[in-house]
Formats: sequence, C-alpha cells, structure tokens
Amino acid sequence: MVSLEEVRPLACWTGTDYYQGENIPSLTIILKTRGCNWNRCLMCGYRFERYSADELLDFEAKLNAQLNWVINNYPSSSYSMVKIYSSGSLFDPKEVPSSFLSRIASAFRGKVVVVETRPEFIEENKLETFISDIDTGAWETPLYCAIGLETTNDNIRDKCIDKGFSMSDFFCAAEEARKAGAGVKAYVLLKPPYLTENESIEDSANTIREVAKIAELISLNPCTVQKNTNVEFLWKRGGYRPPYLWSVLEVISRADIFVTCDPVGAGKVRGPHNCGKCDTSIIDGIRDYNLNGDLSLIEALLEIECDCKDEWEFICMKERSYCMPLTH
Amino acid sequence: MRLFEIKNRDGLALAGHLTLDGVQTAFPVALDMNEKFPDLMHYHHDNLSLFQEKMQENWSDLQINPGMLHPGGKPVTRHGDILLVPNWHTAFINPRNYIEWLVSIRLKSPPDTLWYAPACALPSNVHLLVYSGFSIFDWTSVDLKSAQGIFCLQGCELPKVVEREGFCSCEGCRSGSLLLHNRLALLSELNTVRYYIYKQQLREYVESRSRLSAFQVTVMRLLDQCPVFLEPFIPVTRSVQMLATTEDSLQRVEVKRFMHRVLSRYIPPRNDVAILIPCSARKPYSTSKSHRRLKHIIRGRGHELIITSPLGIVPRELERIYPAAHYDVPVTGYWSQEEKKIIGAQIHEYFKNNQYRRVIAYLEGGALETVTAAFSALEVDCEIITRDDPKKDSMSGELDDALYGEKRKRSDIVRGTCLYQFDTSINTENFILKGYSPEERVFRNKMQLFSFDAHTGYLRPTFQGWDLIKDKYNVCIDPFIPQGDILAPGVVGADPQIREGDEVIVRGKQAIATGRALMSGDCMVESTQGVAVKVRKVMRIEPQ
Repeated sequence: MVSLEEVRPLACWTGTDYYQGENIPSLTIILKTRGCNWNRCLMCGYRFERYSADELLDFEAKLNAQLNWVINNYPSSSYSMVKIYSSGSLFDPKEVPSSFLSRIASAFRGKVVVVETRPEFIEENKLETFISDIDTGAWETPLYCAIGLETTNDNIRDKCIDKGFSMSDFFCAAEEARKAGAGVKAYVLLKPPYLTENESIEDSANTIREVAKIAELISLNPCTVQKNTNVEFLWKRGGYRPPYLWSVLEVISRADIFVTCDPVGAGKVRGPHNCGKCDTSIIDGIRDYNLNGDLSLIEALLEIECDCKDEWEFICMKERSYCMPLTH
Repeated sequence: MRLFEIKNRDGLALAGHLTLDGVQTAFPVALDMNEKFPDLMHYHHDNLSLFQEKMQENWSDLQINPGMLHPGGKPVTRHGDILLVPNWHTAFINPRNYIEWLVSIRLKSPPDTLWYAPACALPSNVHLLVYSGFSIFDWTSVDLKSAQGIFCLQGCELPKVVEREGFCSCEGCRSGSLLLHNRLALLSELNTVRYYIYKQQLREYVESRSRLSAFQVTVMRLLDQCPVFLEPFIPVTRSVQMLATTEDSLQRVEVKRFMHRVLSRYIPPRNDVAILIPCSARKPYSTSKSHRRLKHIIRGRGHELIITSPLGIVPRELERIYPAAHYDVPVTGYWSQEEKKIIGAQIHEYFKNNQYRRVIAYLEGGALETVTAAFSALEVDCEIITRDDPKKDSMSGELDDALYGEKRKRSDIVRGTCLYQFDTSINTENFILKGYSPEERVFRNKMQLFSFDAHTGYLRPTFQGWDLIKDKYNVCIDPFIPQGDILAPGVVGADPQIREGDEVIVRGKQAIATGRALMSGDCMVESTQGVAVKVRKVMRIEPQ
C-alpha cells in the first residue's frame, strides 16, 4: 500500500484567470474521489480515474492527504481563485464526505472557490454552510458551482451526451445556488457526438446566449476523444471528428459575453484540430483571449488564411446528419 | 407516376432511368440530392452511425423521401422507393463491416428499390459502390475534394502540391475550375460503369479498377466469399465474353457454379474411357483447329473432357454453355498454385464419383501437373501421353494407338445440357438434331422438343420439351393471357432456383408460356416492376 505521505491529487497546477475584468492567479486541483455517481456521459473518460472498491480503505485519510499535499506545496498567498474538480460532484455526499468538504472550505478561506458538481447536489443549506466557511467578505461571490450543463437543448443533452439531467434541473440548481449566495459557472460542450459541425456550432452558440442569463461564468469546452468512451468507439470507426478550431473561434465570436476557453488536446487528432498548419497560431490566440477577453483577437483569427478554411466552410455547409463526419 | 425503371442488372448492380421533375436521367447517377429531394433538409439532429441504433426512434418518425435503410434497422417493405443508407462513407474504414452491412441492407430491402449512398462517390471508388448495389450518389464527396484543392482522377486523388498540367483537358480544366473537373471526372466514371453494366461485364471492370486499393480488392474478395448471398444475383447465362484475367476470376460465382454443376448435376454417359484433353483459345473448343484434329484422332472412342482454367473439367457436351464457350484467359501454360488446388480438387471429386475403366491424359504443363496430382490420391490410374510440341502434335499417333480397339460412341449434347441446365436426366432415344451447329433443333417423331440458343448454349424447350422436364423452373402467374412479356407484378410464385438467363415455363390458369427469366425466381416474386420473363411462345388454355 502506498503510504499516505505519497498520496497526491490527480493533478494540480497554478495559472491565471480572467475574472471580472482582471487577471488573477488561480490554483486548479483535480481530486481523486470515489468518482462520479452518474458515470454515463458518452464523452467522459475521467470516470476511470477514481478509487476502486479495494482502494477505499482509508478513503477519507487519502482525501485529507491530497488536500495536505496541496496546502504544503502551494502557499496560500500564491493564488486568489481555487478551482476544485473531481470529474464528478464535490457536493455529492456519496462521492465526497461532508466532513472533508468543510476541511476544503476552511483551507481555502478568503478565495474565490469554484467547485464542480452536478445540479442535483446543489442545496441551499449545504452551500450556505460551505460559503460561511470560506467567506471573508473579500469577494462579492465567494463560491461558484461549476455545472457541466453542456447544452441548453434537452434533446441533445439526453441523446448525444446521456447527461441525465434536464434544463429544469439546472434552473432549480441555479435558483438554490443563488439563494445561498453562490454563483453558477456553466460548462458548454462544443460538438458532442452525433452532431454535424454546423449543428454543434449552432448548439453551442445558442447555449451560450441562453445560459448567459443564468450563469455568471461560462466555459466553452471543445470535445476531445478520451480513452474507453463511447466517443472513442465512434471516432475509431469514422463516426466522430472533434470540432475544428475554426468552430471554436466561430462560437466564441458569436458570444456577447466573455467565455473562458482552454481547449484540451488542441491541435491533436483526439482534440479540436484543423489541418495542422494553422493550429498553433489559433491555439495561442485562444489562450491569449482567455486572459484578456479581447474579442477582436478572435475575430482577427477568423480572418487568417489557411487551406483548411475552405474545407471547414464546406463542411459547415454540406455536412448532414446522414453523412458525417466528412473529414477526420 | 413511377420514379424509376430498372432496365439492366449485373450482379447486385442496377441500371435504368430515373424520372425527376419530368426529366429523365440514366442511373447510376450523381445528383444534387438536396435540390431534387428537399425533404432531405428535414434530417436534422438525426445522426445514426452504421454501428448503432441509439437514435433510431428519431429516424423512423420521419416519413420523408428518400426513406432510410439501415443495417441495424427494420426491413423496408415499400417498393419503388429511393432509400438513403446513412453514413455509408464510414463503411470504407473496415471491409468486413462493409460486407456485413451490405448483406444486411440487401436482405432488408425489396429488389426494386434504389439505394442512395450520401457523400461517398469519387471517380476512384464509384465502380465498387455500384458493384455493391448503390445507384444514386451526390456531389458532396467530389466537391469536398475540390474544397480541399484535391484533383480527382480515375485511379487516385492528386494532392494540391502536384502539378496538374497535362493530366486532363476537360471543360473544367480548360476554364480553371477544379470543382467542374472533379464533377466531370465522376460523371465520366459513372458513364463508364453504366456502360459495363449494360455490357454485362461490370465484374471484369471492377476486377481491373480495384487494383489500386487494397480496400476495394478486399471488398470484392469478401463478397466472393459469401456465395449463398451473391449467387442468386448472378445470371446463369450471358452472351458476352467472360474475361478471366485475374486470380480473383477463379472465385467468380459463374466459375464456381459451373464447376459445381459439373460435379452435382452432370452425369457422364456410359463410356469406358475418359480422355482428358487441353482447351483451345477458340470457343467452343470444337471449332478450333486443334480440337478438330483431336476429334479426327479420337473418333468417339472415349469421353472427351477438356481440362481448363478457370473452369476445371468441361465435358465435351457442355462446351457451348456459358461460360465454357465465353471465357478468355491469358494462356501461358503456367498454372498458379491456387488454380492447381481448386481445379485439382474438382478433378479428384469428379473421378471419385464417376467410374471409368481407363483415363487417358493427353495434356501438358499446368493442366497435366494438376491432373497427375489429383490422380495420385485416386485408385484409378491415369495413362499419360505427353504432348511435346503442341503445334506438331507429334504424339497424336500415340493417342490413336492408345485408343486402338475401343468402342465408338456418340456424344449426346442434349442429354448433357439437360442435366446441366435443368438437373434432369431425359431419355434421348430417337432424338434427331436438325440444322447446323450451334443452332440445332431437337425433334422426336417429327415433334420439336428443343432448340439450342446459339449465344448461351442453353436449350430452349418447346411446350412438348417442357413435358420432359416436369415440375422444374416453373413461374406461376395470375390468371391472364400474357400479351408480350411477363412483368414482375403478375408473378405469384417461382421456382427459387431460377436465375436470370434461365429458360422457364410460365403457368397460369388461362395460359402457359415459354420464355427466358430476366431476374431470379425470388426477385420476380418480390418485385413490383420490371420484366420477369421474356416470353417466347404463349398457349391459351381453353376453358372447359
């Protein structure tokens, strides 16, 4: 057995976030937990990163050890925002014991805390307790519930993602969060399986427009092909292509508000990609936009010339659900 | 009004004409499908990968044209429709899936439907799509190549970096339009494919065109390995040449069927002596110089069996039948191991089942090696007379000597053909052949029973001839008196062993008729359009 001193989170890094018009240092933590209870989303490969049944001994000790490792390695002064993910729901008591939740809260007191959770675990009381532990009055909204809404289209969320919750569930959760004084961060998935390039652009653009009324923060996540997922099954058989980076630009450019976007696996075959020639400059541009919210940068990137742009425009026009994807 | 008319079939491939907005177009064809079928725009958020049926419920709700045909979906029952096979372009990833899905959609759709393969057709692959049974295509795939700057040729796609000068001088290339060039290249290829269907030689074209793609050859070979599926679509007779120029020809249904019928249907006459002789370039063999000379030496003193590739044993009586009189092979005298193995096995089987007192092999090269190997495992000895110099036939004296004292017997072409064609043994006593080969008529007591079809070598029975064949190759029709050909909707039942090209007897309450089948027995029962039987003669049945 691994000794508790060696237990670490799945990943932990510092970065910079564009928040309320300025750049603030942030810390991102991905905790290893019992894993997501829903565990069915077609594109999700994180669900394999969990404690298996025989590792559950000392589970709480392991969680504490992960937190201790973070506290010991990242001085509290080095960040103002903490984003905590578990590829599941931090507020699900089955996944994370509530005692540990309060440990987290006190560890990150005074920070802006973003916590990943499914909407069904957002309850006013629970959030109020959590907020009272972190709030020092330094921030107007000390807590954000990060929900993988993916799309505002119930049909797509159900059939293309198998997400297991509806828009009304999301509205209820947002209401609960607001009552407790927490904000909502919505994750939007660009190009779930079974959608054409154009259908996915339209869907994400609509989603951002609609969700902007409810969520204070929006993050656009271009879909990637993760191991052992339904999406990978389709992808290997020519049934799925991750979105073009052009599409990512298109969706951001159509948004009226700032949308965070840090495309994972960008430029790789399994991630959002173009032809390979223009990928790097577009990815760099998106990363810059991510830090300054300057939409003119995105619009400028959409104007750059590359051979694959004609291809992308053709795909957007001609790809249909009965003949897709047309490219790989 | 009917949307389309199927005029020609060649294996799974269909050709004919399609009427859209009052305009007639020949198919297989590439169309602007969204313009011709605006309903297609309703397919939205309805992706259904060929692998799964998850979103099936959405699809089946849509009552639009074209309808959908999916390998995992419900069988389509409506006739005369164009059917869209969604995402068929993804079938080009794995040839095994391609075949599995192809068999599935064929079995799930009526024979008188046209399949639309969206975003598939390129000049380099459309022959295979048509060979697989698809008839309708769109411009999506070639237009995508144009958007990517790729120059489409028959055999390949040239990337943007390759200099295009001098490859083509079509209207598109002259005017500098890649889009037009690529579309014209697809059109030209579709025209060629249509021509080969019309010529009944699509297989030959596909064999030659597929060589630049391992995928295409694999699909062709895997399809050949599904004989039960493929066989009913292949005609039993054709009147055109069959080119057996590749190793894959050995696996053709036509070849396997011939070899199989020689073993299973054909029964040799009671001859004591079998003489194995080589084939000739000229067909039927007996019209060649070498066979005329052989005939003169043998003089009926043995049963002549021609040993040839790819057909194996061709008994003399069957030499006029398709494809024995129709094949052409590159002759080098060399036989590949595959030829030796397949044909050797047939020879072995033939002589195991059929007893001769003596077997004389007057052969050389690969044919002789194959025969020798086949006989090594048999109890019968094979006397070998080697031909050193085929031109001089220096050993013909030796063959003559070997046959010294053997009884002469006439070759009975009617009996042999009847066995092969109808799987029926008839007593040919007192039969008289009139007229000249290959168009003899067969009489008994001044009553004509059969005539030979000069193009296919098949027998065309008269009503009296059919009396000898009894209850085989029947087509049952509704009670009407046929005026001209029998159309498929009038057929109520048909012998399932009927294939395109077979001679059949049509039976109805009001009339009987003789004729030739233009589709398989099952196909005539299932189809609601097209000519089922080309009628030769009709006889009314007088009401009693």
